[in-house]
Amino acid sequence: MTGKYFGQPVLRLEDKHLLTGRAKFCDDIVIPGMLHAAFLRSDYAHAIIKNIDVSEARKHPGVVAVYTAEDFGDYWKVGPLQVPPPFAIKGAQFNARPLPPIGKGKVRYSGEPIAIVIAESRYIAEDACEDIIFDAEPLPAVIDLEKAWEDTSVLVHDDLPSNMAALVKQEAGDYEAAKKQADVVISKRFVADHVAGGAMENRGFVVNWDERTQEMTVWTGTQAPLPLRSAIAGRMGLIENQVRVITPYIGGGFGPKVMTSQADDVILPWISMKLNRPIKWIEDRRENFLSTTSERDQVHHCEMALKKDGTILGFKDVFYHNTGAYDPYGMTVPLNTQTHTVSNYRVPSFYTEIRMVFTNEMVVTPVRGAGRSEGVFVMERMMDLAAKELKMDPVEIRLKNLLKKEEFPLNTGVIGQDFVVGVLDSGDYKNNLEKCIQMVDYEKFRKEIQPKARKEGKHLGIGVVAFTEGTAVGPYEGARVTVGNNGKVSVSTGYSTQGQGHFTVFAQIVAEQLNVKVEDVRVITGDTGHFHWGAGTFASRGATIAGSAIHSAAVLVREKIFATASKFLEVPEDQVELCEGSACVKGHPEKFISLGELAGKANPMRGAVEADVKPGLEATAYYAPPHGATGSGACAMIVDVDPETFKVKIERFVLVHDCGTVINPLLLEGQIQGGVSMGIGNAFYEKMVYDENGQLMTASFMDYLMPQATDMPRKMEIGHNVHPSPLNTLGIKGVGEAGALPPSPAFCQAVEDALYEYNLDITESNLNPSMLYEFRNKATKR
Amino acid sequence: MNVEGEYVFNGPQQAVYDMFNDPNALATAVPGMQKMVQVDETHYEGAIFLRIGPISAAFEGVLSLSDINPPESCTLNIEGKGKAGFAKGVGHVKFTDLGNNQTRLNYSGDVNIGGTLASVGQRMIDSVAKSMIKSGCEKLQKTLEERCQQK
Repeated sequence: MTGKYFGQPVLRLEDKHLLTGRAKFCDDIVIPGMLHAAFLRSDYAHAIIKNIDVSEARKHPGVVAVYTAEDFGDYWKVGPLQVPPPFAIKGAQFNARPLPPIGKGKVRYSGEPIAIVIAESRYIAEDACEDIIFDAEPLPAVIDLEKAWEDTSVLVHDDLPSNMAALVKQEAGDYEAAKKQADVVISKRFVADHVAGGAMENRGFVVNWDERTQEMTVWTGTQAPLPLRSAIAGRMGLIENQVRVITPYIGGGFGPKVMTSQADDVILPWISMKLNRPIKWIEDRRENFLSTTSERDQVHHCEMALKKDGTILGFKDVFYHNTGAYDPYGMTVPLNTQTHTVSNYRVPSFYTEIRMVFTNEMVVTPVRGAGRSEGVFVMERMMDLAAKELKMDPVEIRLKNLLKKEEFPLNTGVIGQDFVVGVLDSGDYKNNLEKCIQMVDYEKFRKEIQPKARKEGKHLGIGVVAFTEGTAVGPYEGARVTVGNNGKVSVSTGYSTQGQGHFTVFAQIVAEQLNVKVEDVRVITGDTGHFHWGAGTFASRGATIAGSAIHSAAVLVREKIFATASKFLEVPEDQVELCEGSACVKGHPEKFISLGELAGKANPMRGAVEADVKPGLEATAYYAPPHGATGSGACAMIVDVDPETFKVKIERFVLVHDCGTVINPLLLEGQIQGGVSMGIGNAFYEKMVYDENGQLMTASFMDYLMPQATDMPRKMEIGHNVHPSPLNTLGIKGVGEAGALPPSPAFCQAVEDALYEYNLDITESNLNPSMLYEFRNKATKR
Repeated sequence: MNVEGEYVFNGPQQAVYDMFNDPNALATAVPGMQKMVQVDETHYEGAIFLRIGPISAAFEGVLSLSDINPPESCTLNIEGKGKAGFAKGVGHVKFTDLGNNQTRLNYSGDVNIGGTLASVGQRMIDSVAKSMIKSGCEKLQKTLEERCQQK
């Protein structure tokens, strides 16, 4: 449905601000009289707090106040949970342990905040943190997921009988029966390790309580401004419109910024009100690594039952999911894993069991991929194993089982993170893969390129995988579209932006309906003073959910333009058409009224005003989906492995993607490329490592390896399939996380194929050269 | 973190052993050690300033001796804490008379570290520990030679 603006490769409107250094970020906010905060964090992963002596810190010149948990009195409350427990799933067990705002009684992970210093400058605040004497009795740390599930000798939460955070079982079909019918049953244990969100900009929080207006303003890089506003108002006993949360430009979100119950969110508003002073806190990189949430870390025990010809009969996956010390974000991540494990393929019987474990590690909440990556990883690895076992080509076995166009919509029988039974709405998963192998020229690679390379002593390998991305889940988003008296249009939505390009794509949606220039549409996101209903930025839902609401509001404004213009142009509505920036009489462009003038006329000032007046060329609309829309794709990777150093070079990277209707092909490609770089980072660079005492060994970019531009394939070859989603008028599906999903399994398959002299069996998703070396050493020779 | 190694001193076993039980000798030998005070027969309190990669910070701690078996072996328990984290470790030292006025020190230990020391410094700490032990032993060798000469 490409139009004048919709579907066009419009350059990003926001880039002129971002690229010329004119964008305002959280740390750019300066308020007269502003104080600065620094947190003291526990060095221990697990310890009983005996005493926190802040007396010296309080005497430190320039220090205004120092607080520990005791100082907050009744205000100190855990949580609340940001996502409800999964009780929509029959038999689900869940132990809610939301985040405490600041450590009390016991610390449960290294980096947990235990005191906060408020001072005239950040330097003073940091120095005064060093004056605090933290006396604690260290306890053994709970680290190993599988052990922690059984072993009750050390408990993260003493009031629970075990370290179980949750147990959720789901079954579609009958796996055990399917297994009895099978010719082969294969099983394997897989590990998907911890990775960080690693946004370029860390968290930040500036809060100002104005005693005279009785209003609180917060500037912060949150992905969820409205839930944060409501949470702050709720905690402070204020009505929602006494709290305004503004998100300035944000240097990346990637998931962890969706949190609304971390220490800064909870205690800084209270302190600002107490001291009647504005306060700023900007997180440093080490704090981000230690205490802001991260993701992955699962151990899977998979089993697959197949017929001799490669047809899948059933799949079983029992997996341990590390939630860290608390579970404030419920089960979003492991539920995403459950839904994504089998969503590509025809799997008649599926048994899946989540064993969510408390550990003495940082809290796990979604990071781009958000559980989907792990599901895709284990399924694709099992497909590779099945292909080996049945002596089939990895592509052939996939094509045999991938869902085809005519099979949609397909009820999966598995309840997802949005607590409704999953429905795969549309697509042609098989065709994605067919297109992908065509683009990468799979036949030629197998028959010519690879044999030739092997003769020359080179180790070239190919990996081909498929994936789906569940996107655009509820609950809802809304938007208000207004034509101004200057003829320009404003769009406000509760959605927030971390760099995705919303200022451009949302403007395109409106420009198309109102026939105004894209640059004449001013988009406001993430300011609760402008729009005060919505959920937040997560699950690749912006373009679909907020975009659909914006589209509906724009359509209503368009209708209003026609109705109003018909009155002033004195012609029936069907004789009105939109010229650029004005409404005119069909066939008579000289008879027109500009949108600005019309907006003025739509706001009656005196005289006869109709009783049901709806002033202005303005409308508000909401969109709520019945369930998420599912994007899909396939990915092929050709790698060149050095069998001595285990350096891996990605020679070709092909990705075919289907996210339904495309609003802006340029931005779509950007989203995919960004996701892919994150996926490649996860596959071969990034890994968070805890030692057995719960100490994070990778709390800086010296030890946590971020991939660089030079580590990316020279060219990303991206193909598109367009199967519009039937769930929304525009036919959009999300795409934000797609690129991050397939690189890990494609990488493993390609490396195994490259090192063809060995029966390599890679069972971990986060590799590096030395791990590859170890896998090679464990492998038997072919 | 595991630390393991050996060093051969030119001196008799008893003299080497005595030196290791002398807080003053140890205090001067360990790089960055700022004080070492004997609290009782088997306990010492100390302060040390360490530089490990980007971290430079003061640590205070207690050293205690157990399984004392002069002049052959003993166990050292260290517990230290500072602005940049904490360390807790157990070390076993063994002195073997090699004859010919030579004594071999074998040490092995397990140290747990936490805080910035672990999250930022762990990559360097192994090599820092090794170099500290090496230069410590060299310094002790000199002290030993001086002592033997005085006798």
